[in-house]
Amino acid sequence: MTDFPALLGALSGAGVEYIVVGGAAATAHGSARLTLDLDVVYRRTPDNVARVAESVARHHPYLRGAPPGLPFHWDAETIRHGLNFTLVTDIGAIDFLGEIAGGGSYDALLPDTYPLTLFGVECRCLTLERLIQVKRAAGRVKDLEAIAELEAIAEERRR
Amino acid sequence: MAPGDSRFAVDVSLDPDPVIEVYKKDVDRTLIRENLKLTPDERLVQLMRLQEFAEELRAAGRRTLGR
Repeated sequence: MTDFPALLGALSGAGVEYIVVGGAAATAHGSARLTLDLDVVYRRTPDNVARVAESVARHHPYLRGAPPGLPFHWDAETIRHGLNFTLVTDIGAIDFLGEIAGGGSYDALLPDTYPLTLFGVECRCLTLERLIQVKRAAGRVKDLEAIAELEAIAEERRR
Repeated sequence: MAPGDSRFAVDVSLDPDPVIEVYKKDVDRTLIRENLKLTPDERLVQLMRLQEFAEELRAAGRRTLGR
């Protein structure tokens, strides 16, 4: 199980600048679909990359789905050399995304976020409209049902 | 490229899409209406319970199928 309070607490505790996107953001907006990880877009500044590295370091991060024993070191240098990381940790699965298809970077997405307090942790979450837009732009067949639900949520909110 | 621009950023209309409209007919709006009565915290707690249930189902399947 992904421990959302613990993951959000770890991010907040390290002072990470991030935006909640993906399935967890959809859940926060009212989606009833099952998602197994926390997707966040992180800011790619040197200071924030260091904070991202620190945030889950003590929770034994490892590449999700990779065979055990790979020489994977979760640190700022690794993050600088990569962009998007799908990790499993002791407190659940988390995707650290430098950019997302159809949405871009942290700075590009930031205007379309709103402050949200989850389990006492203040974070920023992608707006419902932007979440729909991002998923539409990604153009993945597997997202069609999710997009339909998100648009239905938007319609229900307007009722 | 201006700050904030990205090769991944794409402008997409939110106009009705005929394919999505077809999928929308199958959305269970009763679940959505119930969820909208909850706080975001409560929705995520509900999601974690669903994850636990899904894992229990997978474990039961593995036990039954012996793999």
